[in-house]
Amino acid sequence: LSDKNGVSFEVIARAAYDEGRATLATQLLNYEARAGKQVPLLLSMNEDNLALDKAIESGDTDLIFFVLLQMKSKLPLSSFFRMLSTRPLASSLVEASAASKDRSLLKDLYYQDDRAIASSNLLLSDALSSPSLSTAIDKLKLSHRTLAESKDPSAVIHQKHLVETQQLLKAQESLARDLDTSYIGLSLNETLNRLIRNGYSKRATKLQSDFHVPEKIYAWIRLRALVSARNFG
Amino acid sequence: MLNYADQIKEKVRKDLLNLLEGVRGKKNLVVDEDLAGPLGLVSKYSTLQQYGVDKVFFLERKNIDASQKNVVFLSRGESADRALAIAEQIKRLQQESQIEHEFSVFIAPRRTLVANKIFEEAGVLGDISVEEFPLYFLPMDVDVLSLELEHSFADLFLHRDPTCIYTAARALMLVQQKHGLFPRIIGKGDGAHRLMEMLFRMRTEASVDDKSTKSTLGTLPSAVIESLIIIDRDVDFGTVLLTQLTYDGLLDEVLGIKDNQIEADTAIVGPPPGQQNATTQSALKRKLTIDSSDKLYEQLRDANFAVIGPLLNKVARRLQTDMQNRHSNMTTAELRQFVNNLPGLQAEQQSLKVHTGLAEDMMKFTRNTTFTRVLEIQQNLAAGVDPSTQHDAIEELIAKDTPLLTVLRLLCLESCFFGGLKAKDLEHFKTLILQAYGYQHILTLDALERMQLLFVRTGNIFSNATSQATTVSKTNYNYLRKTLRLLVDEVNESEPNDIAYVYSGYAPLSVRLVQCVLQKQYLLSFTKSSSSGSSSSKSQPPSTPGISSAAHGWQGFEDALKAAKGQTFNKIQKGADEAVTKARAVLGGGGTGGKKTVVVFFVGGITRAEIAALRLLERDNPIRDILICTTSIITGNKMIDAALEARTFGGYGE
Repeated sequence: LSDKNGVSFEVIARAAYDEGRATLATQLLNYEARAGKQVPLLLSMNEDNLALDKAIESGDTDLIFFVLLQMKSKLPLSSFFRMLSTRPLASSLVEASAASKDRSLLKDLYYQDDRAIASSNLLLSDALSSPSLSTAIDKLKLSHRTLAESKDPSAVIHQKHLVETQQLLKAQESLARDLDTSYIGLSLNETLNRLIRNGYSKRATKLQSDFHVPEKIYAWIRLRALVSARNFG
Repeated sequence: MLNYADQIKEKVRKDLLNLLEGVRGKKNLVVDEDLAGPLGLVSKYSTLQQYGVDKVFFLERKNIDASQKNVVFLSRGESADRALAIAEQIKRLQQESQIEHEFSVFIAPRRTLVANKIFEEAGVLGDISVEEFPLYFLPMDVDVLSLELEHSFADLFLHRDPTCIYTAARALMLVQQKHGLFPRIIGKGDGAHRLMEMLFRMRTEASVDDKSTKSTLGTLPSAVIESLIIIDRDVDFGTVLLTQLTYDGLLDEVLGIKDNQIEADTAIVGPPPGQQNATTQSALKRKLTIDSSDKLYEQLRDANFAVIGPLLNKVARRLQTDMQNRHSNMTTAELRQFVNNLPGLQAEQQSLKVHTGLAEDMMKFTRNTTFTRVLEIQQNLAAGVDPSTQHDAIEELIAKDTPLLTVLRLLCLESCFFGGLKAKDLEHFKTLILQAYGYQHILTLDALERMQLLFVRTGNIFSNATSQATTVSKTNYNYLRKTLRLLVDEVNESEPNDIAYVYSGYAPLSVRLVQCVLQKQYLLSFTKSSSSGSSSSKSQPPSTPGISSAAHGWQGFEDALKAAKGQTFNKIQKGADEAVTKARAVLGGGGTGGKKTVVVFFVGGITRAEIAALRLLERDNPIRDILICTTSIITGNKMIDAALEARTFGGYGE
C-alpha cells in the first residue's frame, strides 16, 4: 500500500482509531504525507509528543504553536519544559511568544534550563520598565544576584556591568538632589557632558575616576561640552 | 521575460477585491499598520472606495467607529498578537455600539489554527466570518518580489522563529503551480536548506491532495524557469553592514525606503505638484513614490552615487534643449507634435527637480566628516587590514557620540569579516558603549551576540578554510576575499564592469555566490590569474571552456563554498510522470530554448545594492533573466535595529 501515491492515510487511520485500534492508527499515520492532517488526529489520540515532532518536521510554525498551546494547557509546567528542552525549535517559539505576553513563564523556563544570563537579562528588562527608580534598582540587584552561582565565564563581566548600572543610577540620584537638574537615565558620557556644561567639572572628574573613563574619551567629552557651553577659556 | 510582477500584482488585487465584494454593502476597513504600506503597492484607495469601503482604520489605533454595519478586518495571521487585537476590537464594538455589526476577518496569507483558537477563546468566533487572503509576494518592481515581512530578519536570527521560511515556501509553491517545478534548486546556508526541504515536502503533500481534490500543481519541470537559487542571509552578514553606495541604496540608508516610498523634506524636493498654494498645510514632509515607472529614477537608482551628479547634469541638458526647441518651431504640425510631448517633458522636469534635490541632500550627507571616517574604516575592514589599527578611530567615534547604530555596524562588521573580536577588545568596546550610550544596551549587546553579529573570536573558527568536511559555523571572509575576489581595485563606477561597483570596490559575497552558479567563466577568468597557483584552483581541470553551459550548480567552486557558513546543496526536481515528460518532449519539440528565468531568493533580506549588483549580472547575461525574490528589503541599520534596546532608565515621573 505504501508505494501507492495519493492515498489518504488520515482517513484510514481515523477509521482504525474509531475502531479502538490506536496503535495501528499511529502506525498508519506515519504514512500520511500531509502534516496538516496528521497532527490534529494525533492530538486527539493523545499522542502529543508525536504530534509535536510531526509538526516540527513540517516546518509549519502555526501547527507547532497549535500543538504547544494544547500541551501547555494539559501538562504540568515542568514536564512541558522538559519536553521543550530536547526540541530547540519549539523552545525558541515558546520563548519568542512569551517575551511579550508571559514573562513569568520565561522566568521559569530560564530557571529550569539554568540559563543564568537570560534570567538576568529578563530582570534587567523588567528594571527598564519599572515605574520608579527604587524598584528599578531592586530589579537590578535581583538581576545581579541571579548570576552569582553561574559558571558561565561571561557572567562575571555581566555582573560588573550590572554593578556599574546601579552605581550610576545612585550617583545620578544624588546629583539630581544636589544640583536640581535631572540626570537620571542619562548615559555616563551624557552625565559627564551635562556636568561640565553646567560648570561642575569637579564632580565630573570624580565620576570619571569612579568609572575609569579612559583619558582620551574624557578629553573628547570635555571638548564637546565646553564648545556647546561656548566656554573657550 | 515572463512578467511575474504584473501577474502577481493583478492576482493580489483581484483576491482583495473579490473578498471585499463578498461583503455586501458599504463597509469600514480595518488594516494592521504593517499591511497598509504593502497594500498600497497593489491597490489605490479610490479602488477600495469603489468596492464600498467607507473609512479605513488602523488596527493599532483602536479607534474604529460604528458608522458602518459591516466591519472588515485585514491582517497578517501569523502573529497571535494581531488576532488578539482583532478579538478585542470586536468585543469593544459589540459592547459599545448601538447597531448589530457584521464582522469579517481576512487573514493574510492564510487562516491559522492559532488565530482560530484565539477567536474561539475570546468568544467571537461565532460572530465573524473568516476568510483567507493569499497575499504572499508583493511586486516591488518588475524584477523584484518581496514578501515584505518587515520583522523577518529579527524573527529568523534573533528569535529563531522560521515562520517566514514557511511562508516563503508557500509563496514559491505558487510560482511552481503557475510555471512548473523549478528544474533545479541550488542553495547555500541552513535557512536556505530548510526552505528547499519544505519545497520538496510541500510537493509530496500536494501530490496527495492532487489525487483527492483534483487541484493542479504542475508535476512537470518548468520550461520557462531554469533554476531557483536560494541564498541564506547569514552566509553573508558582512555585506549588509557596509554602507551601500548606489543611489537607491544610499536613499535607503539615509531616508529609509518603505514600500517604494520615501519621506523627504519639502525643502529638499519641493512641494507636491498642484499644491503650491496650499501653504496652510504644515506639510514639511512629503511622501514620494519611487519605482521604475519614473524613467529618470530607473536610470539613476543602480548607479554608484559618485556618478549621479554627471548623470543628472546630462539629463538636465537634454531636457533644456528639448524645451528650447519650441522657439524654433515653424510649422503647425511640428508645434502640435511639441504640445503633445509637453506633458511628458513636464513630468520629466518635475522628476529631475525631485532627484536633484534628493541627490543634493545625499551629497550633504556623504560630505559629512563622520561619514567619510566611517567609510574609511569600512573599506579598511573589507580589505582585510589588521582590524586593531581601526580601533582608535572607532573609539573616537564613540567619544564623539556618533549614533549608536553606526558604531555597532562597524563593530559587527569587524566581527563578521574577521571571525570575531579578540576577547580583550570586545570587552573594552562593550564598556565604552555602555558608558557612552547607557547600560540598557547590555541587552542590545547580548542580542547582537545571539544573532551572531558580534562575538568573541575563538581560535578554531578562524582556521577553518577547507580542513573539515563538515560545514563551518562562520563564513571565512579572509579566505573568500582572495578566492572569489571580493576586492576589486580598478572598478569603474560610471561604466560598471564588475558588481563591486555597488560598494566602490567590494563585491558582495552573496552575489558572488550567485555568480558561482551563473557566471563561472567570468569568475574563473580572474581567480585563475590572481590566485597564483594556490590550492583554490587545483580541484578543477585547467581547461575551462566546457564548463559554461554544461556545468551546473556549484561545480568548480566547491572549495570556496566550504569556507562559507551553512549547508550547500544542489537538487534536481524531475517530473513525477516520466511518460508525460516524454509525451511533452515529443509534442512540444523539446522546448524553445529561449531565454529562461533564474529565480534568486534571499532568505532573511536583501539590500538594494545587492539588487543593483544582480541587475548588472543580468545585463551581462544574454541567456537568462533574473527574478529577485526576498523575505524583505533590508539595510544594515534595520539589521542592528532589531537588537536595539529602546528603553532607558529615565522613564520615571520627574
